[in-house]
Amino acid sequence: MSSVSRQWRSLDELANDQAFVARASMEFPMLAEALASPPDRRRAIKLMTAAFAAGLSDCDVGAPGEQLIPAVRTPPNIVPGLSNFYSTANVLDGYAAGVVIEHRMGRPIKVEGNPLHPASLGATDVFAQAQLLDFYDPERAWAISMQGYPSTRESLESALALQRIKISDNRGKGFRILTGAFTSPTLSAQLGALLKSYPEARWTQWQPISRDNVSKGAALAYGAPVEVTLKLDQADVIVAIDSDLLSSAPGHLRYARDFASRRNPARTQKMSRIYAIEPTPTLTGAIADHRFVAGPRELHQIVVALAAGVLHDTSLSAAPDWMDDVIADLAANHRRALIHVGPEQPPETHALAHAINEALGARGQVLDLIAPLVQVASAQPQPLGELVDEMRAGKVSALVILDSNPAYAAPRTLGFVEALKRVEFSLTLSPTPNETSNETTWAVPMTHAWESWSDARAYDGVATILQPQALPLYDGVDIHTMLALFAESKPTSSLEIVQATWKSGMARDFARTWREALAQGVISNTASPKADARLRDDATRLAPPEPPNHPLTILFRPDPYVWDGRYANNPWLQELPRPLTKLTWDNPLLISPALAKQSNFQNMNIVRVSAGDEQLEAPVWIMPGQAPDCIVALLGFGRRRVGAIGNGAGFDFYPLKGSANMASLKKMAGRAELACTEHHNLIFSEANEAVRRGTLADFLENPGFLAASKTESALYHWKPEGPAAWAMSIDLNACIGCNACVVACQAENNIPVVGKQQVIHEREMHWLRIDRYYAGTPEAPESYFQPVPCMHCEQAPCEVVCPVGATVHDSEGLNVMVYNRCIGTRFCSNNCPYKVRRFNYFAFAKEEQRPPEARNPDVSVRARGVMEKCTFCIQRIAQARITADRENKPVGDVVTACQAACPTQAITFGDMANPDREVARRKQSPLDYALLGDQNTRPRVTYEALIRNPNPSIRGNAG
Amino acid sequence: MAAVFRSSANLVATLTLLGFAGVLICLIGWWWFWPRADYARHVNWIVDQPVPFSHQHHVAGLGIDCRFCHVAVEVSSNAGMPPTYTCMTCHSQIWTNARILSPVRRSLADDKPIVWNRINDLPDYVYFNHGIHIAKGVGCSTCHGEVDRMSLSYKARRLTMRFCLGCHRDPGPNLRPKDQIYNTEWRRTDDTASPENLMAEYHVGGRNLTDCSICHR
Repeated sequence: MSSVSRQWRSLDELANDQAFVARASMEFPMLAEALASPPDRRRAIKLMTAAFAAGLSDCDVGAPGEQLIPAVRTPPNIVPGLSNFYSTANVLDGYAAGVVIEHRMGRPIKVEGNPLHPASLGATDVFAQAQLLDFYDPERAWAISMQGYPSTRESLESALALQRIKISDNRGKGFRILTGAFTSPTLSAQLGALLKSYPEARWTQWQPISRDNVSKGAALAYGAPVEVTLKLDQADVIVAIDSDLLSSAPGHLRYARDFASRRNPARTQKMSRIYAIEPTPTLTGAIADHRFVAGPRELHQIVVALAAGVLHDTSLSAAPDWMDDVIADLAANHRRALIHVGPEQPPETHALAHAINEALGARGQVLDLIAPLVQVASAQPQPLGELVDEMRAGKVSALVILDSNPAYAAPRTLGFVEALKRVEFSLTLSPTPNETSNETTWAVPMTHAWESWSDARAYDGVATILQPQALPLYDGVDIHTMLALFAESKPTSSLEIVQATWKSGMARDFARTWREALAQGVISNTASPKADARLRDDATRLAPPEPPNHPLTILFRPDPYVWDGRYANNPWLQELPRPLTKLTWDNPLLISPALAKQSNFQNMNIVRVSAGDEQLEAPVWIMPGQAPDCIVALLGFGRRRVGAIGNGAGFDFYPLKGSANMASLKKMAGRAELACTEHHNLIFSEANEAVRRGTLADFLENPGFLAASKTESALYHWKPEGPAAWAMSIDLNACIGCNACVVACQAENNIPVVGKQQVIHEREMHWLRIDRYYAGTPEAPESYFQPVPCMHCEQAPCEVVCPVGATVHDSEGLNVMVYNRCIGTRFCSNNCPYKVRRFNYFAFAKEEQRPPEARNPDVSVRARGVMEKCTFCIQRIAQARITADRENKPVGDVVTACQAACPTQAITFGDMANPDREVARRKQSPLDYALLGDQNTRPRVTYEALIRNPNPSIRGNAG
Repeated sequence: MAAVFRSSANLVATLTLLGFAGVLICLIGWWWFWPRADYARHVNWIVDQPVPFSHQHHVAGLGIDCRFCHVAVEVSSNAGMPPTYTCMTCHSQIWTNARILSPVRRSLADDKPIVWNRINDLPDYVYFNHGIHIAKGVGCSTCHGEVDRMSLSYKARRLTMRFCLGCHRDPGPNLRPKDQIYNTEWRRTDDTASPENLMAEYHVGGRNLTDCSICHR
């Protein structure tokens, strides 16, 4: 087998560890390990007998016995076999991104983005896709309980009636409401009215992953609450400081789209340049032209130096040597440059960033200030600490917790759970049983967002009505009704509560405007107005607090997919490889390569981490590109009460939070087993690297400098002759590694999850994977993402080795898999150079949690012992063919699931024989190349090579 | 020394060998014949239904069009089964007290669907689409037989992959003029357009209909 390429995926690969190379060279390494143990004759015969019996029992002659159950009365617009689409929005920490839900016979089966919604433009993130499983989660809260015993809606309502009498008598004294972040105009109106009628009641808004620093920073800079929206398609230079611009900032899908529109030099007039400065790698850093690693203290100095350089034109000696070049680049792009700061940075840094952006002339050009999305009338939220103090002092008689989980995520030093014991009446409204609902007197199941009416705003203020997609699967109460129950005994439905909010805004012809809003998924003219706030004079002289001089600082970040812990029971998100670490089902502490070397830590070593008075044991994972003086704890795992999927998966680092950020590590005995996919499905290539890349300067000199050498002519080349030639082009300049495509594919194609142990055995089933490559040193590597689906090679190596013709070509160039012919030899997978075939070692589809009614009825569910792989969404092609043929028209656009979900439009699919198609145009790009082109497989999937735009005056560290 | 075997052992040995051969031939024959048997495919089996619905009476007798009940057949993969409401369109007016219709009335009264037993069932990995076959000139009776003569419904064709491929390899002879698609009594006559002309009229032939991906996903 060939040597490992210069681009590396894991540190073992970089070190060229012999054992690693030998293992990775094998197609089925786990098989070799299994065979290494002496075979047991009796067991072998048992297995063969069982397999024979199973084979015979499958000899089915298609006996009928199934039933047809038509409706008593057909609901309007529902035709069996056809899809219906209804708009709503997916809301994360208050911010909405529009989605359209595909229904089949009234059952939601797939989430797509809403092209009309400004925060989506047709794209979705992983959370929106994974909502499908949350909706069908069999472990959702399903019954009202009081002190742990089942109760009824009637008893709840009488208990609430008692509370109503109490709080109306004492003007709401001792009545407290705790919510998470929201932008719902209806909820804020309800809260405002409630707090007005009970003047002594207080409301607390709290969430574990806080964006408080952002809003405090804006208030510091402008003296008024404002929000920032960016226009990244206009920006020539972007400086991202510990930024979540492309991963989780409000509007990140839109930002990713705008950003990517300026990244492919073959299509854009002027390529943008992005600098990222961060202590631990983010998606933004991974695609930056320059990524500077800076620990917390260095980062502070950099911010101060950047502010001094831009605002006061002074150059600080403590600044790194690249600082002057960055400042010069910013200055040269006046009105076309901006800086963005992540929510982990202190408010002063945010305020400085506002001042810098004003100085750069960014406002009105590449960013806008808008009025805050939501304000609860006449109410200032009470901080959580104050609430807990009052609870402890016995001043709180009734606490209502609406969709928030402080018992799990609030800092332990706060003592929320102990304080809760002194509250006479407490109630949790939560979609799943959780740590908090365990502790309150009442636990009320909350309806899923697809089961009740609500509304929410996007990052720019555009409002969307969230409409129910189905009747509640379990008996739940929605958040609006719950709040209304504290104001009146018989509240109207959530529909009427939401409609009441919008009645005034849709004064003319309400019924029509309402229907339009539902049909389009956005309410017109609801974007937040531009704010006319003026920068305060002292904003330019703010000094961010200097981080204490700790030898090792612990940083807390939300897990990219489990987030603050709310998605812990979602198996799709648990098993989705994290963009950079490629870990699944776990959250080890991330440490830097330097620290690992110094303390002799290896991946998966158990350490005891201490911060303040708290300490706990967890494994470590070496994160290339992380600053040496910090460790990163990903939050959201180690849930104690959420469901069978999330309970006990990973480690709960919340207890470490809230105490001092100084951490120390001590190596303990033992090793944890973690499921990481970075060394799975390795591609070996001698001739070239998997990701072809170069700089903009080289591209401008010779656009074709990366183009593939001409493929050699083959002795035998069969050309598919069908009316279409399906093909895909993937733009590596646009891919940000967010994995939305992978979950979309999983949802569309009924791909099962396999669980942590099977991932360790390299048996994950994702048809599409995103390979993450590093190049350079582990301390400050460059990183590249490469999505790899089945390549649908015209000269497919898999087809010639199949003994039963289970994988064959069709006339339109699809490499099709005939599941019923497959006998599971796995020769095809062995012979596939791209390693894109997946084998059902077990009956994964039978055992997984996704119920049959949530599956895509147009895609076969694969049985045990069958090979499968990307089909180019053949069901969508078939549907397009049928639609076209019925009308005798040429086949129109086919959009694959991955393509539809992609926020950056990195994936293009279509008929490449038709020169009018986007895919045909992209294949003509000078950057177009085939992965492993030297193998002459003539793949139908090709890539556009990665071009980065480093600043020529900065040496080294250039992308 | 006496012979180890008596002379009759020859006969036994021969018969045993022949027996084995015979069993083997039977097994192979069975293996070949059984899947092709109408019996195994349940062709012409009358399936018990909650209501003894007669296509003969409704289609041939009353002249009700297929699409009156199977409404989705032109647009969807499924032909669609009529909801109880469709039955009650007429049966709220006529035969209102007929005993055989009591399950229909009960369905409406209790808001519980009628559960029909399937007659034509393709395997789950076959994605047959009614709409495209209707649009391309394949009549109902090509697959479902002369439904208008069925006083109780049964499966009329084997509906095996061979049956599908027979037509997908050479669609022409099974196409019919547009106005005859729902005519279950239709037969090709000398006046019928030739298969080639029908193929051209329906634009059939641009695609390789025997690709696996046409029917399987």
